[in-house]
Amino acid sequence: MTTKTSLLKVILLGDGGVGKSSIMNRYVTNKFDAHLFHTIGVEFLNKDLEVDSRQVTLQIWDTAGQERFRSLRTPFYRGSDCCLLTFSVDDHQSFLNLGNWKKEFIYYADVKEPEKFPFVVLGNKVDVTERQVSTEEARQWCQENGDYPYYETSAKDATNVAVAFEEAVRRVLAAEERTVHLIPTDTVKLHRKPRSAAACC
Amino acid sequence: MVHVYNCHPFKSQQIVQVEQEPGLVCCGGGALFVVATGGCKVEVYNLEKEGCPLFCRFATMGTVKSIQHSKIGDYLVTIEEKNNATYLRAYTNWRYQAEEKGRVGVRLLGHLLGGASVWGGVQMEIIEIPMSERPIAVSCCPVTGDLLVGCEKTVVLFTLSRQNQQNLQNQSQQSVQNSLPNSQQSCNPSQGPTSVSHPNLSILDFERSVILHLPKMSLKQVALCGGYVAVNAELEVLVLKLEAASDPAAAEEPLETSKSAAEPPQDQDDFLLIPRHQELLESKAKDCDILVTMEKTGLEDQAQYQFSYILFRRFSPEFFQGCRVEEMQIHSLQLYPLFTSNSLEDPTCVFCFFSLPTAGYLYSLKGGVELLSAYQYPEKVLQAVMSDHLLHVITKNALQCFTVRCSAVAARMEDPYIDTTMKACPPSTLEVCALRIQLFIGLRSVCVYNQRVILLSAADTETQQEPERRCLKLKENSVLTGIFLAVGIDPATTPALENLLSRPFLSRKWTISSPKETSTVGHGWNLYVVDTVHPFTLYQEMVEYSCRYVQTTPQSHSLRHLLSEAHLLLRACLLQTPEQKQSGQGDPAVSSKPGSNGAVDKNSATQANRQELEEALRQNSAQLGDCFSRASQKDCHLALPYYKMSGLTVAEVISRNRPPPEGPSSYGLGFLFYLKLHLLEETEQHLTQEEADEIIYIFSQSEPFLLVSVCASPCMINCSATRTLQILQRLEDTAGVSVPLTIIMAAMALRLGKQQDYTELMERHAEMQLVYGFIEEPRLLLHGGGGGGGGGGGGQHSQVHPTSLARQLANTQPGLLVAAMVALHENCKVQLEQADFVFKELGCENTLLVDFWEAMLMASSQDAVIQELLFRVASVYIDRLTNSINGSGAPKYKSLKGADDLITSCSHYGALYPWLTVLNPTHSTTSEHQEALHKLQSLLCGPSLSVGSIVPLLERLSGETLWGFSLHLLCATRRGQYESSIEQLLDRCPQAIIAYANHQLQDKYMTLWWQKLLPELCKRTRAAADNGILLGALKETLVVVAMETSPAEFLELIPDDGTASYFLPHLLTCSQRHLMA
Repeated sequence: MTTKTSLLKVILLGDGGVGKSSIMNRYVTNKFDAHLFHTIGVEFLNKDLEVDSRQVTLQIWDTAGQERFRSLRTPFYRGSDCCLLTFSVDDHQSFLNLGNWKKEFIYYADVKEPEKFPFVVLGNKVDVTERQVSTEEARQWCQENGDYPYYETSAKDATNVAVAFEEAVRRVLAAEERTVHLIPTDTVKLHRKPRSAAACC
Repeated sequence: MVHVYNCHPFKSQQIVQVEQEPGLVCCGGGALFVVATGGCKVEVYNLEKEGCPLFCRFATMGTVKSIQHSKIGDYLVTIEEKNNATYLRAYTNWRYQAEEKGRVGVRLLGHLLGGASVWGGVQMEIIEIPMSERPIAVSCCPVTGDLLVGCEKTVVLFTLSRQNQQNLQNQSQQSVQNSLPNSQQSCNPSQGPTSVSHPNLSILDFERSVILHLPKMSLKQVALCGGYVAVNAELEVLVLKLEAASDPAAAEEPLETSKSAAEPPQDQDDFLLIPRHQELLESKAKDCDILVTMEKTGLEDQAQYQFSYILFRRFSPEFFQGCRVEEMQIHSLQLYPLFTSNSLEDPTCVFCFFSLPTAGYLYSLKGGVELLSAYQYPEKVLQAVMSDHLLHVITKNALQCFTVRCSAVAARMEDPYIDTTMKACPPSTLEVCALRIQLFIGLRSVCVYNQRVILLSAADTETQQEPERRCLKLKENSVLTGIFLAVGIDPATTPALENLLSRPFLSRKWTISSPKETSTVGHGWNLYVVDTVHPFTLYQEMVEYSCRYVQTTPQSHSLRHLLSEAHLLLRACLLQTPEQKQSGQGDPAVSSKPGSNGAVDKNSATQANRQELEEALRQNSAQLGDCFSRASQKDCHLALPYYKMSGLTVAEVISRNRPPPEGPSSYGLGFLFYLKLHLLEETEQHLTQEEADEIIYIFSQSEPFLLVSVCASPCMINCSATRTLQILQRLEDTAGVSVPLTIIMAAMALRLGKQQDYTELMERHAEMQLVYGFIEEPRLLLHGGGGGGGGGGGGQHSQVHPTSLARQLANTQPGLLVAAMVALHENCKVQLEQADFVFKELGCENTLLVDFWEAMLMASSQDAVIQELLFRVASVYIDRLTNSINGSGAPKYKSLKGADDLITSCSHYGALYPWLTVLNPTHSTTSEHQEALHKLQSLLCGPSLSVGSIVPLLERLSGETLWGFSLHLLCATRRGQYESSIEQLLDRCPQAIIAYANHQLQDKYMTLWWQKLLPELCKRTRAAADNGILLGALKETLVVVAMETSPAEFLELIPDDGTASYFLPHLLTCSQRHLMA
């Protein structure tokens, strides 16, 4: 009998400075540092959690948003289970760039069926008073691009951060369920096993 | 058959408190890495602390399929899977992941930019290594830290590069600036809260340097060690040596040749070929049909590589019995380096081990490829792993421990005196044995770190357990019974067997150090850390065992084998470098954490310090010496080196080999060999009378024909002459007369003061025969100088001393002594200097010595020696002449050979020139003086002496006396100074001038008659007209000149003021002779 945990790779993408690292830090360590540095290249943190009575290790990948780090970042898109497209509600340009990020991801991650891939959109920094992107505007974009879930978050005061990640996990698991029914392959068996394992441990 | 000694190599065991079932386990750097089954998490346990506490824990990026730790660089390398893709990753700085929550940097191979470690913080970093093919196996080089990755048809070598932080910082800043000149420098390193500088920290990276293509092999495992690359397929092993090529052209070459060699086998594709069993070593290995081509991927200016085949082994599937064909797969491929104090950088030896389920094979690769050992396993082996002293293998239900022969190879590399008469060591091909079979249940994997063996056991799931048990029961009952009895379990308790089997078995020597053992019963798996005892402890146990053998069956082969095993364990301990011992105590990196010094290993390491080991080696050598002293013909010569290494005295060795009083008084061949060689080796150590007498007794019983040689040994000087003489007499009665035997009997008689007996014995043989006797046994005359033994000690010119027989001869038969010494010299039994020393020691002033030199001149044919001797005797003669003048120290002596003897019998002494007789007055001085003068003159008249060399010595002699003048004149003449010689001779002794001129002025010097002598005589007679001697000489000269010149020339020569009537007859003679011609 094996006790197996699912490892889910979730990648945070978005313009430099929208708060990707802060969101990750808030979620994993529950801390916020206003003077965090720009991420160079790629880093990740792991977090174990239970979603719908299922043990999951969430591997959260934080990437460098600046254009000049593109080459360091893109090789690691492959194998992602979910992508969190992030913008800052006080920076309209970062919102406009969401489409580019999505394209870049789909291109480098080599996603087979892009329309079925689980994206989640995060509008960060809702604690800021001067917004440049309205909730409606954001929701509309999500609606038009593939009916992505949208969460307005604040890494600073922890608003919606955990909820957003949990939704990401749900999306991934749901996507897997679909594949299970569609193509019964070896992969399917592998993923089925842990469930029974979790039940007996 | 496998010999099982049932020793106790395992000391104690601990159970690592792992929460989740371990899937993969590896160890290194003082740590145990455990990957949970199917999980993506690595838990690291500290192997150097009691109880192996958790050290840190970190997540991997995918499901780990394979994991390895590299000692050099302290990195982990994994093959991981995620979403059906396979990845190759290296984890560095994992020690800083103590809290799981740290951020982990990720970068691609070669992209050093980025990551907190560059900016000074210490962060775990993952290097993603992209591969074009799916990686199957990895191996890290224990010497360089390089990484070898095996894919299905290729092997890729990644060289490890380490960059100093400072360099890197500059470099990466530059590269950021260069590539993006407009972008802002947004990450200032000095601002970072984590940017503490770690100057010692270097950042690792890899460079893909070479790809080897092996299209005909489907790789299963790879191994890398110091340039050796080993790969294996299911039933084939290939070892290559990869070297940096100095010449780029040479690097290309093997690629070409192997390509062309690859063509023919194509036809075979149509047939199903069952491969033959094959073993190809060294240069022959390239004849294997495995094609290897090399593709270089490194930068242009970097080292070129070339490779050579080292070893190829192929097993044929039908070769095995008792195992299913599909189970027949090579596993546990390992390249194992052995470092000794001589080579801390470069391993002294590199070994290659691989295993089939039924047998393991250990090869030595460096300094000649050879199969050291083949391990025949008693049952199917799942995995095997080598450690410094032992080979550990696991079967499904047991951990077995075998001996290895690595130290036998390394000891020979270290010490060239091994396998000589000085030192010995059991052969590297010595049969291996199993030291213990320790039962465990459901063993899955094994790994080794220093002296700890880590075992993973997991009971199969319920459904799988049943057939396994049935299988166990089906096994031959006797085998199982034996195994159970071996570990102290009564098979009668069979009903409880299942219960017992679910727990680890503990032998009487085991201690349980895990207090929480009960908690492990709950799950079906366990991770054991089994401590092995220090090899010295194991050695002691073997010695204990050997004592039992000694009492029961001292002749048995097992005793010798056991002692040899023990010997090799000691060798292994002694070979271990201090550095290695340190790393055994605690890995530097782990130990740098406070309080993590390995308490366990430290104790055992300090337990046996070097002195203790060396003392043990001496004792062991003594025991091995005993074994071989009783051995048969084949190995008996080993008694000598082992006894030498033991440091035992001869007396001690004799007492160890004394036959039991009740038994037959026979001595072992090895013991006699030892005694013989020892007595030949000319040690200064004199045996006591009892010891010497015992040796003579031993030889008289065992090898009486060696008695002369034995009695002549200087060690035997204290033997009882009376007893020995009796024994020798008996020998002569039985074996007949021989010259050396007579001489040694005479020497004994001499020792007893029986002068009469001595003389009688010596007179039994002619002097010449006696000389042959001395050549046969030089030690009758001389002691010391490394006589005949092949001893490594002592230079060529070691001191020799005369025996008392030699002293006696010096007094009574000096001629015999001198002849014997010359014979010894000419037969290379003694050096010239040694002989000189002997004669000096004999103290007959230097007369005998000079006699010896003169005799040498007569006998020797060695040019270098002759020149040296000529100079020496010349200077002796000059000394004697000077002394006789001074009259003070003129010794009374009589030379063995007089001047006339020498002139007639020695080519280097020439006949005296006739004119010398005119100069040598017969009545002058003593006969000694006369003798010396004649000898010296004769030498000067001879062909060999180089006159120039003794001119400085001659200056000591005054030319005032006529004999002194004769010597100077001889010298001048020999050096061609005729004109001055003529003048001097006319001044000092004109009556000799015509004799001189007749002898010396010939051939091309004939002209001197008229060019020098005639004018000189004319001049002198003019001054003293009444000098009859001069006038006579003038007349004789004119006769000669008239004979040799033409009338015209003669006319020219006649002085203007000469009386015509005086010269006229000569002119007439001249003219008549000319007319006739």
